Amino acid sequence: MALPLTYNWRNLFARRTTTLLTILVIAAVVGVFTWMLGFQSALSGSLSFAQDEHKLIVLRQAATSETNSAIPPEESNKLSQLDREIALDAKTGRPLKSPEMIVQVSLPRVSDGGKTRANVAVRGLTDDGFKVHRNVRIVEGRAFAQGQMEVVVGMAIAKQFTGLRMGDTLNLGYSGNRGYKIVGLFSADGGPMESEVWGPLTMMMNAYQRNAYSSVVLRLNETMNASEVIKKVEGPTIQLTAQTEAQYWDAQAKNIRVYLLIVRVLVGVMCVAAAFSIANTMYSSVAARSREFAMLRTIGFSGGQIMVSIMIEAVFLSLIGGLLGCAACYTYLQVMGRTKDMFGATSFTTMAFEISMTPMIIVIALGAVTLVGLLGALTPGIRAAKIKVVEALREA
Amino acid sequence: MNLRLIYLYRNLTRNVRRTLLTCAAVGLPIMIYVLSMSVVHGVDKFLENSAKQLRIVVTQKTSIVNPLPQGHRRKIEALDPTQQRLTAVCGVQWIGGQRANDPTPLSLMAADHDSFIPAMPEYQLTPSEIEAWQKDRQAIIVGSGPAGQMGWKVGDRISIVPTLPPYRAMEFHVVSTAPDAPDNQSIFFRKDFLDEELKKDGFPEGLVSFFFVKCASKKDLDDFRQLIDTTFAGSLDETRSLDEKTFMNEFIAQQFDLPRNLAILSGLTVFVAIMAAMNTMSMNFRDRIAEMATLKSLGFSGGFAFSLIQTESLLLCSLGGLIGAMVPFILFTFTPAKDFQVPLIVTLVVEMSTCLKALGIAVFIGVVAGLWPSWLAMRMHVVRALRNLE
Repeated sequence: MALPLTYNWRNLFARRTTTLLTILVIAAVVGVFTWMLGFQSALSGSLSFAQDEHKLIVLRQAATSETNSAIPPEESNKLSQLDREIALDAKTGRPLKSPEMIVQVSLPRVSDGGKTRANVAVRGLTDDGFKVHRNVRIVEGRAFAQGQMEVVVGMAIAKQFTGLRMGDTLNLGYSGNRGYKIVGLFSADGGPMESEVWGPLTMMMNAYQRNAYSSVVLRLNETMNASEVIKKVEGPTIQLTAQTEAQYWDAQAKNIRVYLLIVRVLVGVMCVAAAFSIANTMYSSVAARSREFAMLRTIGFSGGQIMVSIMIEAVFLSLIGGLLGCAACYTYLQVMGRTKDMFGATSFTTMAFEISMTPMIIVIALGAVTLVGLLGALTPGIRAAKIKVVEALREA
Repeated sequence: MNLRLIYLYRNLTRNVRRTLLTCAAVGLPIMIYVLSMSVVHGVDKFLENSAKQLRIVVTQKTSIVNPLPQGHRRKIEALDPTQQRLTAVCGVQWIGGQRANDPTPLSLMAADHDSFIPAMPEYQLTPSEIEAWQKDRQAIIVGSGPAGQMGWKVGDRISIVPTLPPYRAMEFHVVSTAPDAPDNQSIFFRKDFLDEELKKDGFPEGLVSFFFVKCASKKDLDDFRQLIDTTFAGSLDETRSLDEKTFMNEFIAQQFDLPRNLAILSGLTVFVAIMAAMNTMSMNFRDRIAEMATLKSLGFSGGFAFSLIQTESLLLCSLGGLIGAMVPFILFTFTPAKDFQVPLIVTLVVEMSTCLKALGIAVFIGVVAGLWPSWLAMRMHVVRALRNLE
């Protein structure tokens, strides 16, 4: 028979101060840990919807993002050499190529009442754009019409920046003096394109006095291998450069990953500190109870059972602290806002996303803290198991 | 006195495991504090310099990616013909860049060579460096960050491919690595060289990403910041002028908001350390109730008991704090980790002052952690304490 769980539970209340302080340590660490997990999963969640292996973003050679690339129309014509590689439109039979222009508009954030602004990407594209970017669909209103002063807005930024509701007029153009009406909202399955404003290509190029596209996005035949096509694009006859969607966004998220790495290292160190703290608590608990353990041994419980019992106590501590930490993180997100927007590494445009506490994150956080608790209780547990019965009883 | 020292030493060593675990539980958070605050300070220092330099950054009104015409420089200069209040106007074009076959992003900027030196005095170029910059069209000033990373030295000929027009390799001659510049990431070269290269390939020239306008006083900065925008209001190329600190802050806020997040994180870790140290001190006290009671019954005062626990707590936390502060200091001052770069912001420098502040916090933790047990010890009722013991 194992020791009853109520024994462990009651033990926590035998040394109230120590238990409370240990729980607070764990709660603080888990709170930060959960926030980090939430941030990370929001970011990679967004990027995971930009993994279309048959979508190729063609840029000017040496350019690292659509923002700093420029492809004059005559250069883009060279891409007609790829007609065998590019998928055809089922209706018109034309190759699916989308010449696009990217500029930015600086918009006020909702989260701080418009005090600060961020650079939002504005993409001009033709009707083919919707066929090349397959996961983009209008969820409210309608698509913009070519030749009209109309735009559609991604769902993520519609929430995070002011003046982006249906029917609002957004001032665009080089001098910011051309009013474009917002006629629709679009979804990109939560991918980074949801952080963009889309409008008609020729109108946009005109408004921004541009005579070159920023990029040309290709939809490849399902049978084609992207890396072979990239080689061809970079070859002597075309002399442009290309990246798959996944490669492109991976590069844009590079800075953010470094920041995340910093936070991850710091949180890792915090976890170690928490493990030490638990170890300290459990050691003291074991030391104070040596007579108790000796008693348990004499009435027939094994060393292993006592060790398990110590571990269970540590897990109780960890889980209470962990739940408290999750609750604290949840409250923090509710109070301080869950929305985040970040710069791409070289695009200088924003990626907006929302941090949410999914059940998965809570499970991972609690799992991790249980592990930390077990690690911390391991050596004290062994110590308790090895107690010399006679001596312990005699000492007391 | 001597007795007390021996007693302290014995107290700390009688449960070595507990002492070590507590040192670690205090030292690790202090380490996190030092690292986080080093990043925050790096950013602050960068921003403080921006504020100190009294510069206005003039950008295109709707977005930084839209260029302004070079001609704006003369119009801005004309606002103060005496050149007493606006001392220098320097047009800058950002062209990014990387080395061939190396994806590390570089921050290359072409600047008006005649006004760069007076506009950016914090670069502290030597007279010979200034001379080289003025004479050589291909001169380049590489920030110490990328210079260290790429192994570039003064006198080197280097080749960089800009990520903007002309999109092909350009050759430069390193004239300075600006070791004293607070911004160690930026790389400046001459704009007349860029325009010449752009002309060769048929790209439009004479465009500027932003202007640095150096002012003589804070008042001039505020006055001209508004005056510049009203001057260009209603024109084709309207401007948005900000003081340099606000301008830089907008960038940093969009980069993960790292300083704010790290400040929150370090606050929490200090909290963790306080809880951990308190825990130890209360456990120590519990173990030694009998001893304390005995001491008091022997005639030692409540103050003695109080100071005994306080000094032990202080010593313990200071020890943890010392280790926690010294490890990152040594790591980021004497080992290869010192070249670690935080993208677009700063190279991580762990300063002695940050470590000392961390040590101060460790001492504070010690005081707080020992407060409750030492107060209990002071007020302890001897008879009751001894009676309660089994």
